[in-house]
Amino acid sequence: MRKTTKKANRQKKINPMQTAFTRFMLIVAFFVFWIGGIGARLVYLQINRHEDYRAKALNQRRDLVKETQLRGTIYDRNGRALAMSVNVKSLVANPSEIEDVEGTAKEIAKVLKIKPNEILKTLKDGKENNKKFVWLARKLDEDAADNLNKTLEQKDLDKSSLPKFKGLYWREEQKRSYPYQTLAAHVVGFSNSEDVGSAGIEQSQDDILHGAVFKGWQDRDRLGRVYDESETERELPNDVVLTLSHSIQYKTEKALEKAVKNSNAKSGMAVVLDVKTSQVLAMANYPTFNPNKYTEFEPESYTNRAVHDIYSPGSVFKLVTYGAALQENLIEPEGVVNCGNGVLKIPGREILDKHCRNSISYTEAMAVSSNIAAMKTGFALGKERFHGYAQKFGFGSPVGIELPAEANGILRPPTRWQGDSLASMSIGYEIGVTVLQVVTAYAIIANDGVRIQPHIIKEIRHADGKISLTEAQKTQVVSQDSARNLRKMMREVVLKGTGKRAQLNGYSSAGKTGTAWKYNAKLKKIDSGKYVSSFIGMAPAENPSVVIAIVMDEPQVGGRDGGQVSAPVFREIAEQILPEMNVLPEAVAREENLTAEQQIPVEEIDVPKDEEAKNSIIADEVDKSNKIDKKAVSLKSVTETKSGKIDKKTSENEKPKETKKESKSNESDKKSAKPKTAGLTNEKPKNKSSGDVKNKT
Amino acid sequence: MRKRTLPKVKNTPKIKRERDPLPWRYCLLTLICGFVLVVGFFFAARQHFSSIEYGIKNSKLKNQLEEVVAEKRRLVLEKEISLTPAEIKKAAKKLGLIESANENVESYQPNQAKNNKVVAEKTGEKKSLESKPKQLVSNIVENKPAKVEKDLKQSEKSSEPKVFSKTGR
Repeated sequence: MRKTTKKANRQKKINPMQTAFTRFMLIVAFFVFWIGGIGARLVYLQINRHEDYRAKALNQRRDLVKETQLRGTIYDRNGRALAMSVNVKSLVANPSEIEDVEGTAKEIAKVLKIKPNEILKTLKDGKENNKKFVWLARKLDEDAADNLNKTLEQKDLDKSSLPKFKGLYWREEQKRSYPYQTLAAHVVGFSNSEDVGSAGIEQSQDDILHGAVFKGWQDRDRLGRVYDESETERELPNDVVLTLSHSIQYKTEKALEKAVKNSNAKSGMAVVLDVKTSQVLAMANYPTFNPNKYTEFEPESYTNRAVHDIYSPGSVFKLVTYGAALQENLIEPEGVVNCGNGVLKIPGREILDKHCRNSISYTEAMAVSSNIAAMKTGFALGKERFHGYAQKFGFGSPVGIELPAEANGILRPPTRWQGDSLASMSIGYEIGVTVLQVVTAYAIIANDGVRIQPHIIKEIRHADGKISLTEAQKTQVVSQDSARNLRKMMREVVLKGTGKRAQLNGYSSAGKTGTAWKYNAKLKKIDSGKYVSSFIGMAPAENPSVVIAIVMDEPQVGGRDGGQVSAPVFREIAEQILPEMNVLPEAVAREENLTAEQQIPVEEIDVPKDEEAKNSIIADEVDKSNKIDKKAVSLKSVTETKSGKIDKKTSENEKPKETKKESKSNESDKKSAKPKTAGLTNEKPKNKSSGDVKNKT
Repeated sequence: MRKRTLPKVKNTPKIKRERDPLPWRYCLLTLICGFVLVVGFFFAARQHFSSIEYGIKNSKLKNQLEEVVAEKRRLVLEKEISLTPAEIKKAAKKLGLIESANENVESYQPNQAKNNKVVAEKTGEKKSLESKPKQLVSNIVENKPAKVEKDLKQSEKSSEPKVFSKTGR
């Protein structure tokens, strides 16, 4: 009984609060364990697996953006854009997202007005190979992109970016445009589809023009909207300002084109140089190409022949001969040279000169382009001095212009000259030059004997507003008096000599003609029907503002002389550009209705066979140089013989060959000539890109 | 077992404990802190979403700016294209202008040159070479016919070079 009572009391003693407390504590313990577990898991995730999940999270909301800046603009000296890039859009697709491939292809093709087969094939291939990126249409203009956005709109699609079409996206690209099309195409060059400069200034200044690639990230919300973004410091591209004037360039190109067409020439080159600054105002080649559609043209047409091609200058090189002799006080303009009845015997050869049969002044000798007078002047100079002056005038080494693939030219050291090399070089044989080298040499005389390194980049405009100006080096080559005397002599060439067609209306002019034979690499001999006719002139004669070089390759119609073919081009260009350059007109007028037979001494060409060996070596050298530069296209070597005949006596080891008689007017002077192995040089003309512009801010 | 009687509790004066004010203060402080915390969280959340919103707007504006710059660039290119000689020729043709051949263009000759011809005719000198004009100029200076002198003075007054071209048939 008592036990029962105790049990009852004990039961009564169970405190409900205690029970509740115990239960509460159990729950708390549960939560503590639960939270502890979560905490432990969080610690594990956030410390041990931190990197993995961070990467996953970033990957979910963050896009890495790679963007290429627009390529810099190329301007002419007046601020006209010769090459500039614009943003365009390319249509890309993720084929795995597209369900109705055929329907999509049809719709896209309809908008782009192209056949759907190609797009269908691209999409199908992409889908089969599980590709997530395929190009559908590249570099569409803004109108086409807008049209596509409007047409391909799936209204029920939840997509933040355009086009609102499943699986289709836009990708920003840039397109290079050349608004002036063929104008200065060889100077400006072009950049390829990957926006890498492939020719001209585009190539040589690629580092400056190239838009930097910058990386950044964009945070997107669940709808794909960008709400935060960041980018690394971007280096903006720079702009290049050329010394070219679009107006002068246009006039030069038009005159050259007309002349090439009229004379049915193979090609033509023209360079216009500002005398005081040595800035290239125009550099033209014909035939030319359109850099907007460069793939439609032969790669040969990309070559800037004015800086890349080497040819034998012929009589225009007499500038160096007479210039050096004047500087050394060996001759005077009015001094008399005895041509010895028009025959000059040199070791192993006999030179005939129709234009100089008695004694004439050096001025007259230059005017009629006498070979004997030039050779005698060369002999007076001697090998070393002649070679030294040729180097001083800039031959045998690149001019240093900011264009790619500039040729060195060919100028052998005197130790490798042969017996008649000095005579040949005095009249422009056995030497290879570029048009730019020749025009630079003439600019020295025009600039009172001071050589200023030619340049084609006026300034570089940096993105931060700084401007780097090109600084040209100046060197005194010949004295002021020598240069003035030589200008007077060249003035007579235009007034009385072979360059009468270079007379200008309203301005005086001076210059020198040159006519060269071309070497046929296939036949391995001089091609009697192919010439290079040139005229290098300056105006006004007293105080020249501009030097213009015209070189015509293989003129077929209307004469062969530089005075007949190239001098009129000089006249046409000079008469147009001198007023534009604010050069005051002078009281001179050109002679009208000139006829070659009556009033203009004709340059005579009669190439002995033995010149072919020399020319073949020149040609080989040029071929080598052209092979070095794979991008630029090789040019054929050209050689020249000038008025007067160069005959050679038979040497012991050579077989006699007949002299070629080319000029109709010179038929009476036909003489036999003997071949001679005349090694020119084994030097390889290095075609190197002189793209590095030494700029000083 | 003896019963013990506890002494009666005397009517001792009640010991009054002063209530500790801290709990209320703590409560209040806790409340305030909680309130501040909630408000802070609220503002932080608002700031966060606001920043996202501004970020989105900023991104849109940036895109718009880029588009405008790109459009400007396109327009500059269009302008350049329209200023090219080829386009000018097209426009001229539309306006009905005819391109003149070079043969039909007569270059302007300065007064001196014309005067030279006049003087040359008067003095009986034959103009055959370009070297003559120099001599002719000297003749002008020496002879100075009244009309020629007047023309020369007029030409000297004009400081800028004048070069014209006119088309003719």
